Amino acid sequence: MKNLRSGLLLATVLLSSSLQAMDYKVSTYTEGLDHPWSMAFLPDGRMLVTERVGRLRIIEADGTLREAPVSGVPEAFVSSQAGLMEVALDPDFASNQQIYLSYAYGDRGANNTRLARARLVDGALQDLTVIFSALPAKAGTSHYGGRIAFLPDKTLLLTLGDGFDYREEAQNAANHLGKIVRINRDGSVPVNNPVINQPDAAPEIYSLGHRNVQGIVYDSQLNRLYSTEHGPKGGDELNMLEPGKNYGWPLATFGVDYNGAQISPYTELPGYEPPLLHWTPSVAPSSLTVYNGSKFEQWRGDLFVSTLAERSVRRIRMKGSMLAGEEVLFEELDERIRDVRGGPDGALYLLTDSSDGRVLKVLPAE
Amino acid sequence: MSGLSRTLWSFVIAVVLVALIGAVLQTQYNLAMLEALGAPVPLDIRLQTTGLDLLGFAPVFAILVTFGFALALPLATLVSKFLPALHWLVFALAGALAIFTALCAVNAALPMPTFIGANRSLDGTLGLMLCGALGGLLYDKLRCAPVHASQGITHEKSA
Repeated sequence: MKNLRSGLLLATVLLSSSLQAMDYKVSTYTEGLDHPWSMAFLPDGRMLVTERVGRLRIIEADGTLREAPVSGVPEAFVSSQAGLMEVALDPDFASNQQIYLSYAYGDRGANNTRLARARLVDGALQDLTVIFSALPAKAGTSHYGGRIAFLPDKTLLLTLGDGFDYREEAQNAANHLGKIVRINRDGSVPVNNPVINQPDAAPEIYSLGHRNVQGIVYDSQLNRLYSTEHGPKGGDELNMLEPGKNYGWPLATFGVDYNGAQISPYTELPGYEPPLLHWTPSVAPSSLTVYNGSKFEQWRGDLFVSTLAERSVRRIRMKGSMLAGEEVLFEELDERIRDVRGGPDGALYLLTDSSDGRVLKVLPAE
Repeated sequence: MSGLSRTLWSFVIAVVLVALIGAVLQTQYNLAMLEALGAPVPLDIRLQTTGLDLLGFAPVFAILVTFGFALALPLATLVSKFLPALHWLVFALAGALAIFTALCAVNAALPMPTFIGANRSLDGTLGLMLCGALGGLLYDKLRCAPVHASQGITHEKSA
């Protein structure tokens, strides 16, 4: 493979976990990316990768990074956590070539998360349309959410953040701060959204009471929707999402503020959904996927959570429909991991979060 | 007690006071926000949360107060020499501005927009500045208090 960094084949790692150990090898698939944020696999073997600095890149099927970024990408507000975030293919991409991009809009004083769709044609975006803008615009450059998932009915879920300074707004159904929203692929609001008949509620809301949701995945085997969100100091969460439910931030949390102050005296409250799992100290969960590939038989059906602070990927074992323990993977890389996905070839792919970011490919050891 | 020791002790006591009452204020501010969202906050929960903030938040706030006061109080000492009748006002203002400056500095230095929850609103910020003003006044009072009244020494001022 062209861009395979010679000598970087990280040796087989023998996992010391008490769970089922598995040997794997990690290799560099592509390098030279500036804070890559999200990846999507094209049907022809190529890959799309966003860079937070505002570029959408194409990686050829052999791992080569195409030099010219995709043209026609909407201009993002780039600062700190703000920038170009998720790229996702339409469920009917093979026939319509539509892709979706989430990114920060606005400026330092007034910004939030936006979603656009466009057709990918010959390395360029055409017919770009903004289909959703989170409101209100807020100040600061923190907590945008930005991850995308599709439900079986092909409606789209977009995760959002509370903007850090506006945490109480996560409980205010009149806006999009601290929410997960559900929209049709053209940006219209599904008529069966959970709060659509609630007076003064933002009709796009799917769930509320979130802090900064950067992981979401629909598990088609179990017909479940999971999300992960960053807590403050401690209190990162894995949640099982249900429409209209309130996940409690900031009324109930296992975390405290970065300055040591209490956010809430409560870790749970009646009427608010508790997390399936919480991590204290924080691991900083940056993405979430279900592995359904063919290369790692023992991993099939398990959840994988990439982390920034822990510099790892958490494998959450599933036994049937039950969570059955965790395993910390790839700590030996000592890299902030921004995204984890199962590729169509069965390999597990990772994005490292740095100015010299890489796509890593994980395969079973020989 | 030497002038330097007295100044240092006055400084430390003032910092501790501001950190403690600032932590109590931060707790009440935060609990008021949660109550507004519908959370129950009975007295035992209020006391427990306040205690946790005194342990967890006050030491962090004390660091900010130390930096702010280390700049502001020597300046106030200097200025008060020209305004002896208004020295209390000078120290109160210095204490308040020390907190404001420290909050601005930490917000600029750290990635999150606002480091301390109470600093997100005007009334919370003014409350924290009021704590600083009280600290400035206490510092002024302590450093000026009679040291050996029986020996006729009434004031020992040192910066």
